[in-house]
Amino acid sequence: MTGFTPDLLNRCIACGFCLPACPTYALTKDETSSPRGRIDLMRALDEGTLPLDDPRVREEASFCLGCRACETVCPAGVRYGDLLEEWRDQQWQGSGRPLVARLLMILVDARWRVRLLGLPRRHARTRGGPQGPSLMLGCFERALFPRVSRAARRLFPELAAPAAQGCCGALHAHNGDSARGRRMAEELGRRLPGTIVTTSGGCAAHLSSVLGRDRVKELSQYAYERDGLDGTAGEEPSRPATRTPPGGDPGEAADRPRIALQDSCHLRNGLGVWREPRAVLERIGTYVELPSAGACCGAAGTYALVRPRDSRRVLDAKLDEIEAAGVDYVAVVNPGCYRQLDQGLRRRRSRARAVHLAELLAGERPRRRER
Amino acid sequence: MPVKTTATGKPLDAATLRELRAIVGAEHVRHADGDVTPYARDATPLFRARPGAVVHPASTEEVAAVLKLAAARGVPVVPRGAGSNLCSATVPLEGGIVLVLTRLDRVLEISAEELLAVCQPGVTSAALADAAAAHGLLYAPDPGSRSVATIGGTVATCAGGLRGLKYGVTRNYVLGLEAVLGTGEVVRTGGRLWKDVAGYDLTRLLTGSEGTLGVITEVTLALLPAPESAGNGLAYFPTLADAGRAVTRVIAAGIVPATLEFLDARCVDAVERHARLGLRSDAGALLIFGDDGEPAAVAHRLDRMAGLCRDTGAIEVSVAGHAAESEALLAARRCTLPALSRLGTITILEDVGVPRPRIAEMVGHIEDIAERHDVTIATFGHAGDGNLHPTCVIDKGDDEAAERAHRAFGEIFRTAMRLGGTITGEHGVGAAKLPYLTERLGAAQVELQRRIKAAFDPAGILNPGKAGS
Repeated sequence: MTGFTPDLLNRCIACGFCLPACPTYALTKDETSSPRGRIDLMRALDEGTLPLDDPRVREEASFCLGCRACETVCPAGVRYGDLLEEWRDQQWQGSGRPLVARLLMILVDARWRVRLLGLPRRHARTRGGPQGPSLMLGCFERALFPRVSRAARRLFPELAAPAAQGCCGALHAHNGDSARGRRMAEELGRRLPGTIVTTSGGCAAHLSSVLGRDRVKELSQYAYERDGLDGTAGEEPSRPATRTPPGGDPGEAADRPRIALQDSCHLRNGLGVWREPRAVLERIGTYVELPSAGACCGAAGTYALVRPRDSRRVLDAKLDEIEAAGVDYVAVVNPGCYRQLDQGLRRRRSRARAVHLAELLAGERPRRRER
Repeated sequence: MPVKTTATGKPLDAATLRELRAIVGAEHVRHADGDVTPYARDATPLFRARPGAVVHPASTEEVAAVLKLAAARGVPVVPRGAGSNLCSATVPLEGGIVLVLTRLDRVLEISAEELLAVCQPGVTSAALADAAAAHGLLYAPDPGSRSVATIGGTVATCAGGLRGLKYGVTRNYVLGLEAVLGTGEVVRTGGRLWKDVAGYDLTRLLTGSEGTLGVITEVTLALLPAPESAGNGLAYFPTLADAGRAVTRVIAAGIVPATLEFLDARCVDAVERHARLGLRSDAGALLIFGDDGEPAAVAHRLDRMAGLCRDTGAIEVSVAGHAAESEALLAARRCTLPALSRLGTITILEDVGVPRPRIAEMVGHIEDIAERHDVTIATFGHAGDGNLHPTCVIDKGDDEAAERAHRAFGEIFRTAMRLGGTITGEHGVGAAKLPYLTERLGAAQVELQRRIKAAFDPAGILNPGKAGS
């Protein structure tokens, strides 16, 4: 039995160029917790020399963050993210799947339940079916951070935001049910027939992999292209998409906020979108590049819930960096990163605040915490 | 040449495992199947052997205690850094312990006054170079795998790289070592001085010894003042041999540049598909030339090299506009080998060296040999120092093609030796080149190497089945 596509598995020639990119290798310095080592485990599964219930095989399938940083440095073009999905499809069958992941997957599997999640909170919503591009509300984002979709709608009133839309299925794809994950993305694609704009980098990557890249725009990408920052827009937008902050005159340059960014791993490593959020942030503040801006924050989908201790170990070095950089805001482009950084910075009573890029663009400036 | 899997798997006995745990801590001794499987190979294709245990020590004392125990029990020990070597130097052919030095990862000192660095073996080559650069200093050895490879590994294999012509290789920068011998004794060789002739040069002997004489636990390296500027240019040629002739012209003109790298069309195509720099793959070969130093001098030498390339029949010559472009070019070049794997599932990389004036001739021979044996060989290399990497790409499971490749490479090695060259320029002997070592060195020297090994490692536990065994 083998659930691996031979072409994907054969691509790796074990050069090891992925080792320095891997957050879990950085933590352990152990080959078995590196992308190359995990591909060896997959090969051993494939060849039948290790069983699925080998304790270390089970551990590594879960210890991997799935951030795909290894893909960007791989000269051989190994599609590690696809391999990990195939691995978890086998490893995380039935009771093999972490309990938290199972519960969350059940929760978002039906549209009515996703809608219920958003009920208590006032996320953006519009009536009627979408005519042009629509805003994806997400599953957990609408419950945890309803202000993000409201900010996105204020920025881009042309976006329709019907509440009757489900989850994109990324959660399923990353937690051992890639077939269901695909079907959910297809279903969402039918509900929102035009361009789908999303405030979640992780959803953008998953949706793109199913619906194709032209159907999906992450919010910073949408802003970037709409405002002609990519140099392609012919016509002027009807009004500037990025508002001047309240009370902000053009003369307040000295008081521009210092803003850092936390990339969304799948947005950066999967879709190659990393210039766009930086370019739009540069227009509203002093952009500060964190040394590890492109490295995983440890949220990694369900990871922060399934493996809270490891998740925090990954986050801690980043929090040190943020403190050292003396920034006012850390912009995020994915709800998981939002929750992770918000909690981490609060725990430390840091002066810096985590804020979604959409909120910053819409002119919101959450107050800095007093020390 | 099917996969060389050695039937090891002999588990370490419970008493040995218990003692190992007492030395390094239980969580740093792993022996379950899943734990050790990835340590059955390094970056060399076709060699695999599972160790009985993987041990991660954190100090010289722990390394010494492990070796003392292993010597007493007759258990093989294979020291390992990141496992990025290309000669199967870290494959535990006879089982035993793989001793991983990656936890020893501190830069201990960078001295601008003495122009040296002291570090532990698990620091990566790139991390050390960055630490030196922060003090305005250069760590010159620049192996393609610098972001991955550890200093301990690069010293143990005497790694070369892209700057060999002007700056030499790892051995030219190792001033002193701390190493644990096969007996568990700790020795400190050399020191912090450029001039020091007290006794045999054991530092050089340990450099390139591939873990067969001792386990390196601390390294003192010479640094240089960082050059003020660097620049690179590109020249396309109709054939690789033409590029080889241009290299000979450049060196004959008295220019010793930092970089002279060439790639044939197949390599250029693979690199371009990975890095997307806009390289053209319609030419037969690409030569990357570059130098560093005082800006005006660099510009002058780039200009002269560009002129010499044109005189030798280059189709197109250009000079990189700025430093970032230059660095992107070299970064892409460093990925040539793995990028070639896009052509097939197994890439067998070789590493012959010939005297510089014979590069064009050797390139011609490689092409003939590939054709006669009906295999696809792509060639790239450090043209400036005569070090070529003919690389054969085959598909997994095609044993017949693997056998043809094996025969072709045998012939390539012999041709290189006939031209006054060597079977390995910078990758090492490991198990991969061992069958050709006697041909290269002669029986008397191989025997002498065995006696040397016996003096360092009387129990014969260090990396058995490799050089000196």
